[in-house]
Amino acid sequence: MTEPFLVAQDLHKSFNDHKAVNGVSFTVGKGEIFGLLGPNGAGKTTTIRILATVLEADRGDATIGGYSLKNSPGAVRTLIGVCPQDLALYPDLAALDNLVFFGRMVGLSGKEAKAQAMANLELMGLANRARGKIEKFSGGMKRRINLAIALMGHPRLLFLDEPTVGIDPQSRHNIYETIQGLQANGMTILYTTHYMEEADRLCDRVAIMDGGQIIALGTPRELKGQAGDPDKTTLESVFLNLTGHSLRDD
Amino acid sequence: MSKAIIVALREVRTYLQDKADLAFSLLLPIGIFALMYGAFGGQDLFHGTAYIVNEDGNGKFATMLLERLEALESLDVEQLTPAEADRKLNRSDLRMVVIIPEGFSDSLTAGKTASLVFKQRGNGGDEGQIVASLVRGVVEEIEQELQVQAQVKTLAPSGIPAARIETTVEKFLARDRQSPIVAIKEIPVGNSRPDPVKQFMPGIITMFVLFAVTLTAQTIVEERRKGTLERLLTTRLSTGQLFIGKFLASLGRGFVQTLILLVLAGIVFRVFTPLSFVQAVVIALVFAAAAGVIGLIIGSVARTPDQATWMAVFITMFMTMLGGTFFTVSRGSVLYILGKLSLNTYANDAFKGLIVRGDSLADMGLELGVLIGVVAIGLVLSRVLFRAVPGGR
Ligand SMILES: Nc1ncnc2c1ncn2[C@@H]1O[C@H](COP(=O)(O)OP(=O)(O)OP(=O)(O)O)[C@@H](O)[C@H]1O
Ligand SMILES: [Mg+2]
Repeated sequence: MTEPFLVAQDLHKSFNDHKAVNGVSFTVGKGEIFGLLGPNGAGKTTTIRILATVLEADRGDATIGGYSLKNSPGAVRTLIGVCPQDLALYPDLAALDNLVFFGRMVGLSGKEAKAQAMANLELMGLANRARGKIEKFSGGMKRRINLAIALMGHPRLLFLDEPTVGIDPQSRHNIYETIQGLQANGMTILYTTHYMEEADRLCDRVAIMDGGQIIALGTPRELKGQAGDPDKTTLESVFLNLTGHSLRDD
Repeated sequence: MSKAIIVALREVRTYLQDKADLAFSLLLPIGIFALMYGAFGGQDLFHGTAYIVNEDGNGKFATMLLERLEALESLDVEQLTPAEADRKLNRSDLRMVVIIPEGFSDSLTAGKTASLVFKQRGNGGDEGQIVASLVRGVVEEIEQELQVQAQVKTLAPSGIPAARIETTVEKFLARDRQSPIVAIKEIPVGNSRPDPVKQFMPGIITMFVLFAVTLTAQTIVEERRKGTLERLLTTRLSTGQLFIGKFLASLGRGFVQTLILLVLAGIVFRVFTPLSFVQAVVIALVFAAAAGVIGLIIGSVARTPDQATWMAVFITMFMTMLGGTFFTVSRGSVLYILGKLSLNTYANDAFKGLIVRGDSLADMGLELGVLIGVVAIGLVLSRVLFRAVPGGR
């Protein structure tokens, strides 16, 4: 692993007695794509919300780029970009205006925001729809805009919470390529997904969470190797072995 | 440009794009004022309708009488057939009808006497009595003119053609009617009878401004629902800036709405002088700020859009009812004390002072002070209560 950029130590978060995150520690190296996997309700989104300064941990802390969440959340915010699990867009605004608005919010000037917005739309293959209102967009287009907004201001660390859920293979492919391109440019990425084959392909290392705790951590190959021949097993079977077959209805 | 202002501008943009919202806030005041105007407009002076059955057809004097009655500003003339008149009188739809009998003009032309008939139920009602006396006045006028013409005819030296005498006399009479020797002027005095427009106007203005409570609360819960609120808080926008932005947007919207209301009120009812108009805008803005802040508090504590709507509706109703919008609460009663909790009370008092008593802003220190205090405390309170996500920071 390269020099650590994100260090989470013993994070805890409860919602009315329910322990959503229960002692989570892990480290993400600079320029790494780190996968956070786990069944529904495992605590992935809660972990990301804590790291993104939206929620305050009951216990534990994390540092991002050397800044502590507890002591300098403001500084942490200057380093991160968040692509939330649920779309977070202004449907009545045009795609470009959504990007420009959030660009201004991360501190870009009007001119910079516009330039970056156009570049990001280009990257997502949506440059020709820049003036279209979000409410007229398809699900896949909205997902790509959701990601494009997270890239505004060139964050050093990107949180991607299930960025590819519910979209067609074309859009998904576009998002994979974008993520790989970002990594090539040195961005650090924390990635959650329910598609094991996707995690296997994209992530340098993955952590498997269940019940608010990390129950396995390593490169995809290491985790597959623990279950048998890494060339023959899939990450999905490792995942099912570790987390069991019972349905998670919370 | 500050992030707070960018947030506010985004908000205003959404507002301008929502056609229904826009129509609601712009057209509703116009509608309400139209209704108010219909109900109260120009009610200070008498205005009635003379119901007339003309059995004299195109007779010269019947036509003259009708024309002169129609020329009266305080009277509308409606002609009925005899059958209609009887039916309406029987059903008490009307209480007084003036009948111009057949042969009315012929008798007068022949120099004989003629009579009008006032057919009425009971005493004809207040309006009927006033209409009757107005008709009598016009009839007297015609009668005098006839006498003048008859007199002039007897006095004039023979040899002058009768038709010429008639036109000359008619010319003088017309001039006299234009500018009578003794003219009557009606001057409404003081507020012996409270002007309903001035009484209700403050309540209506404050009620509209109070919509800011609901609208502002909605902008927060809506953003929470869309997920953009959470996203905003991962950017460099601080929660304080977010609140200032929301507050500015609310104020901007309130300002536009209020300006429309006050301009309309000024044009339709002429309740303002230029100075009092500016003062009214100030009061409305301060009140809009207070209403917006209440909306911020609701938006901060509500968990769902429904909850926010209900809280806002409840508070709006409470404040409107007890704030003296529809009825004046008598001093010292429980409602009066509860009314002190309603922001409308202060805004209405300030507006009434301005519109009815002609006070200036300096006389409203208490009212404006309370409202500004609510803004300051409310801004802090809403920030303290605010959570981007349940259980969040
Ligand atoms: N704000 C909240 N209030 C109460 N409970 C919450 C809250 N947020 C999350 N939870 C609960 O915490 C647990 C973890 O939720 P979380 O969203 O982190 O799971 P997740 O791993 O992201 O699941 P998914 O794969 O379905 O997105 C769940 O049981 C969830 O119901
Ligand atoms: Mg999740």
